[in-house]
Amino acid sequence: MAEQAKSIWRPRSAWAGIVEAGQIGVDGKPGVTALTLDDMGFATLIVPPGSPDLASATKRMIGLDLPKKAFVSLSSTHGVAWAGANHWLLFARQQAGFVDLLQSFSDHAAVSDQSHARAALTVSGPRVREVLAKGAMVDLHSSVFPVGATALTSFAHVHVQFWRTDDGPDGPIFEILVPRSMAGSFWSWFAASAAEFNCRIDRD
Amino acid sequence: MRKQLHRLNSGGLIDRTQALCFRFDGKNYDGFAGDTLASALLANGVRLFGRSFKYHRPRGLLSAGPEEPNALVELRTGARREPNTRATVVELFQNLEATSQNRWPSLGFDVLSLNRLAAPALVAGFYYKTFMWPARFWEKLYEPLIRRAAGLGRAAAVEDPDHYDKAFVFCDVLVIGAGPAGLSAAVAAGRSGARVIICDEDFRLGGRLLAERRQIDGRPAADWLAAILAELASLSEVRIMPRTSVFGLYDHGIYGAVERVNDHVAVPPAHQPRQRGWRIYAKRAILAAGALERPIVFPGNDRPGVMLSGAVRAYVNRFGVLPGREAVVFTAGDGGWATVRDLTEAGAHVAAIVDARSEINPESKTMALRVGARLFAGSVVEATHGGQALRSVTVRDASGKRARLACDLLAVSNGWNPTLHLTSHQNGKPVWEETIQSFVPGRLPPGLAVAGSAAGRFTLAEALRDGARLGREAAVEVGFAAAAADPVPATDAETDGLAPVWRVRGNRGKAFVDLQNDVTDKDVELAAREGFRSIEHLKRYTTLGMATDQGKTSNLAGLAIMAEQVGKAICETGTTTFRPPYTPVAIGALAGHHRGKDFRPVRLAPTHDWSREQGAVFVETGQWLRAQYYPKPGEQDWLATINREVLATRSGVGLCDVSTLGKIDIQGSDAAEFLERVYINGWKTLPIGKARYGVMLREDGFVMDDGTTSRLGENHFLMTTTTINAAKVMQHLEFCHQVLWPELDLRMVSVSEQWAQAAVAGPRSREVLRRVVDAKHDISNEAFPYLAAGEITVGGGIPARLFRISFSGELAYELAVPAGYGDAMMHALMAAGEPYGITPYGLDGLNVMRIEKGHAIGTESNGQTTARDLGLGRMMSSKKDFIGRLMAKREALVQADRPSLVGFRPVDTNNRLWAGAHFIGIGRAAKTENDEGYMTSVAYSPNLKHWIGLGFLKNGPTRIGERIQAVDPVRNGEVEVEVCSPIFFDPEGTRLHG
Repeated sequence: MAEQAKSIWRPRSAWAGIVEAGQIGVDGKPGVTALTLDDMGFATLIVPPGSPDLASATKRMIGLDLPKKAFVSLSSTHGVAWAGANHWLLFARQQAGFVDLLQSFSDHAAVSDQSHARAALTVSGPRVREVLAKGAMVDLHSSVFPVGATALTSFAHVHVQFWRTDDGPDGPIFEILVPRSMAGSFWSWFAASAAEFNCRIDRD
Repeated sequence: MRKQLHRLNSGGLIDRTQALCFRFDGKNYDGFAGDTLASALLANGVRLFGRSFKYHRPRGLLSAGPEEPNALVELRTGARREPNTRATVVELFQNLEATSQNRWPSLGFDVLSLNRLAAPALVAGFYYKTFMWPARFWEKLYEPLIRRAAGLGRAAAVEDPDHYDKAFVFCDVLVIGAGPAGLSAAVAAGRSGARVIICDEDFRLGGRLLAERRQIDGRPAADWLAAILAELASLSEVRIMPRTSVFGLYDHGIYGAVERVNDHVAVPPAHQPRQRGWRIYAKRAILAAGALERPIVFPGNDRPGVMLSGAVRAYVNRFGVLPGREAVVFTAGDGGWATVRDLTEAGAHVAAIVDARSEINPESKTMALRVGARLFAGSVVEATHGGQALRSVTVRDASGKRARLACDLLAVSNGWNPTLHLTSHQNGKPVWEETIQSFVPGRLPPGLAVAGSAAGRFTLAEALRDGARLGREAAVEVGFAAAAADPVPATDAETDGLAPVWRVRGNRGKAFVDLQNDVTDKDVELAAREGFRSIEHLKRYTTLGMATDQGKTSNLAGLAIMAEQVGKAICETGTTTFRPPYTPVAIGALAGHHRGKDFRPVRLAPTHDWSREQGAVFVETGQWLRAQYYPKPGEQDWLATINREVLATRSGVGLCDVSTLGKIDIQGSDAAEFLERVYINGWKTLPIGKARYGVMLREDGFVMDDGTTSRLGENHFLMTTTTINAAKVMQHLEFCHQVLWPELDLRMVSVSEQWAQAAVAGPRSREVLRRVVDAKHDISNEAFPYLAAGEITVGGGIPARLFRISFSGELAYELAVPAGYGDAMMHALMAAGEPYGITPYGLDGLNVMRIEKGHAIGTESNGQTTARDLGLGRMMSSKKDFIGRLMAKREALVQADRPSLVGFRPVDTNNRLWAGAHFIGIGRAAKTENDEGYMTSVAYSPNLKHWIGLGFLKNGPTRIGERIQAVDPVRNGEVEVEVCSPIFFDPEGTRLHG
C-alpha cells in the first residue's frame, strides 16, 4: 500500500498532455525555441502600503533587489518580479527548498504559494518578438522593454506575466507564466503563431 | 502562350519573363507577374467584368485601384471562394481563378438584365413603395425575389480553411501610403532614428509615381523611387509593409490595418496566415493616402470602355496595357491632357479631346494638333453608344451642336478627391475647399498630419515637400533630433487647373452617380423631391455610397447634384461621415486565431485528464469545461448515469471535482473585520480550523455570491466562491478594500489556480480519506467534526487541506492538494475507495443532490433574489453593518408576499417538471396577472423516485401542502404540483454529521 501510494503521488506538469518536445512548422533552422519550465516555485508576496522591510529581507534571503516598478530581479537560482502595487512574485528555479524559503518570507509579507498555479515556459530565438507580437499589446522593442522588464498583460485573452531575461546567442529571451488552467488554450495560440517561423520545443 | 492583344510591346512594371496563366469565367488567359487581375484581363481584351447591382447592366473597369465600383469578382473556388473582390487590386498569381458576379446564366447573356426594361419603375425607394402590401407577402415572396435579383457575390458555403493572424505593433511614426509624399515622410522621419512603419495597400510601393511619366531631379521618377526605397530598406528602425491597408483610426493613436500576407498566392504556404490584422500603436501618423479621381455623371457613363483618365494612365504606364486604340478624352481639367499625351506615346490614337472648359491654353491646343485629335472646347459628352462595349460617343459643343465620334475608350477626368477617410474616423468633418473644388481634411485627430494629395495639395512638388517636412516634424515631436534636411527634389512642370462638371444633362440613357448601387442623377432628384434632402437621408433612401466601395467615386457627385436641387452650395449641404473600414476587411483578419474552439480560452481543471480517462461528458460553465456525468457502457441515457452516480454516493461514496470554485487567500490583522463587512453573517467568532457558509450581497441588497470560508490562522482566511462568480467576487473585494476601506490591514490574492480540489461524499467517505490522508492526522468525527478545516498532508508529506463541508447532504469532505498533484489525488482516492465502490459523479449528479437538499445555486441566486427570498433571511446579522444591508430592507424586497424559495413535487409522480414553469392557481387562467412565481431548478430524484423542483412562490413557506399548477406552455403544459419544504431528503440532516 505504501509503495503504491508513493507511486501514485507524482506531480504532473502543467504542460502534460499539451506540449510535446519536437518541432512545429516548416523545416530548417528554428526561428523560435520554447522550453517548458516544470520545476519552478512561485509565490505572491503582498505587503501593506509603505511596509519597509520586504526589500531588506529579499536582499538578505536571496540577494536580490526588490524591483520598485515593472522589472524583475534575477539570479541564477531565484528571482523577484514586480506584480502590481505592493505586490511581487517571488520565484525559484527549483521547487526543492522553496517551501522553507516561503516560511522565512512570511514574517515580512503575506505569502501565498502559487507554484502550481502557473505554467511557465521560456521562449527565445531570432523571430521570438514576431511571435509575441501576435499576442502582446506591449511594445517589446529594446528601448521600451529592456532586459529585466516585466509586464502583466494578456496573450490571446489569457492572463500572463512575462519578463525578459539576459539575451542569449539567438537574441532576446522571455519567460512567460500562464494560469495553469489555460495552458492548453495558450499553447494552441502559441503553436499556431510560432509555426510560420519554425519552432523547436524542448521539455524541461 | 496566348497572345495578349492589348499588351504593349514594352514598358510597364511587369515582369515579362514571368508569365502567369489564370482563368476568368472558365476561360484561360495569360498575364505577367506584376499584373492585377484587371490589368491582365484588359491586356487580353476583356471589357465586360460584371453586371450591375439592380439593373444588371454590363459593366467594365472604371478604375485601377481600391475605389473600383464595377469590377467585382468571386475570387478562387470552393472553401476559399471570396465574393466582391475588386479585380483592380487583386495581384495576379499562377492559376488564379475568378468568376464574374450577379449574372445568370452568363456574363454575356444575362436574363435579369430584363430588369432594364422595368427600369423606369426601379427608382429610389422602389422597394419601400411597392412591397408594402400585403404584408404577409414580404417574407415569403418579395424578399426572396429581391434577394435573388439584387445583390453581389456569393460567400463560400464552407469553413475557411486558412489561418488568420492578429498582431500588435508599435512605432514612433506611422506613414500611411507609400507614394511620393509617404516615402518622403518615412525617409525624413527614419533618418532621425525614429521607429517608422510605412504601409501601402498596393503590392508595389510608389503610389501614383508608378502610373505616371514624371521626372524628379531631371531623371525618371523610377530612379528616385529606387533610391528612396533602398534607403528605407537600409534603415533598421523602418518597417516597410506593402499589401497592408490601414483601414481605421481609433482612439489614442491606434490604427487598424490588414496585411494581405498570402492573398497573392493560390494557397498560403504551410503554417502561414492568409491575412494578418494589425493593431498599430503610433505616437504620430502621417496620412499620405493620395487622392481618388472623380468620374463625370453623364448619360451612358457606365458603358464598358468609359474609364477614369488616371486609370488609363495606370494601365498604360504601369501595366503596359492599352485600354483602347481609338480614344476620346473627356476632361474638366488639366488631368485629361496627361492622358492624351500618354495614350499617344503608347501608340493609341486620340480621336478627340472634349474639354468642358471654354478656355484652352495654347500648349494644349498645340498638343491636340500634334496628336491629330479634334478639340472640343466648352463641350461635353452627352451619350455613349455600343452594346457591351463602347463604340462611339456623342459630343455636344458649346453651341449645342452634336457630333458622334467612333471610339473604344472614353477617358474621363473631373479632378480628384483627397483620400481623407481616416481623418474623419474620429468625428472629424471634411471641409469644402472652394479653390480646388474638393473636400479636404477638417479638424485632425491628435497626432495625425496629412501630406500631399490627401490634403488637397495635388502636385508632385507639393507631395515631396509636404512629406519631407511632416516626416521630420513628426520625428522631432516624439523626441528625435531632426536629421539634416535634403533639398526637396525638383520636378518637371505640372498644372492642376480644374472646373469640375457635376453632371451633364441629356436625354439618351441613364446617367449614373453611384455605379455600384445603380443610383442615377434622377434618383437624387427624386429623393430631393420627396424630402430626403439631408445628405444622410439621401444616402439611406437611394443607397448612394453604400456597399463595398462606400461611395469613393460617387459621394461628391451625389451631394453636388443634391446641392443644385435644393439651391445650396456644396459646402452647405455637407458630406456624409466616413467610418472604418476604409476598404472591406475580412472578418477572419479581425478574429485572428480566435475562432472555433479558440474563440476564447477554455479553462481545464487539474483533474481534467483524469475525468477524460473516466469517460466524462463535459459541459461549459463559464470558461471552464467541467465533467457533467460519467456514462458507463450499457447505460441508456444520461438519466440512468446520473441516477447511478447519485445512488452510489448516497449509499457508499462518490467523488467529484470541485477545483473550479474560486479560492481567495485573505491575510491581515483586519481579515476577520473585512469578512464581517462583505458577508451578511458573523465571522469574528469563527475559530481557527473551522469553515462557515457565507452569503454576500451586492450594494443593492441582492445576493451576489455564496460559499464557505475557512479560518486557517488568526489572521488568515481562505474564501471560496462559486465557479461562475470567482472573478467578479475578487474584483468586488478588491474594490471594497481599495476604495471603501483602504485603512484595513488586508492582503488578498486569488489562489484558484494553485489548488486541485475534490469532494468526497457519502457514508463511506471518511474511510476512503483515512487511506489517503497521512496517518499522523486524526480525521475521526471527534477530532475533525462537521465544518472542520485544516492543513494536513497526503502521500507522505505533500501539503494539503481538508474541509469537512457538504453540498450533497452526506458525510462529506473536500480535499485540496497543489494542482500538480490533482491527477494523483484522483487516482489515490479511486484506489483507496475501490473497496467501497467509489463512484465519480459530475455536475449533474451534484445538482440532483443539492436540489434534494434544497441548496440554492446560480439559478436561484440569479441576481434578482435576496437572502430572504432564498430562505436565508435569518442569516442576516443585526449586530453589524455589511454591504447591502440597508438596501435589502427596501419595501419591495421585504414584502410578505414576495416569492420565496420552496420545494415542489408533482401530484401525479409520473409527471416530470420543467424549470422555467410559472405557478398559477388551480382553475385560473395562465395569464400574467395570475402569476405567483416560477420554478428555478428541477431534477429527477432517484431516492424519492419522482421529479422534484425548487422555485419561488408568493408566500411560499406558509403554503406547504397546497396544490398549484406549474404552467409551461412551450413544453408539457400544466402539471399539478404540491408545495413542500425545499429539503426533500434527510430533512433532519443526520447524514451530514454521521
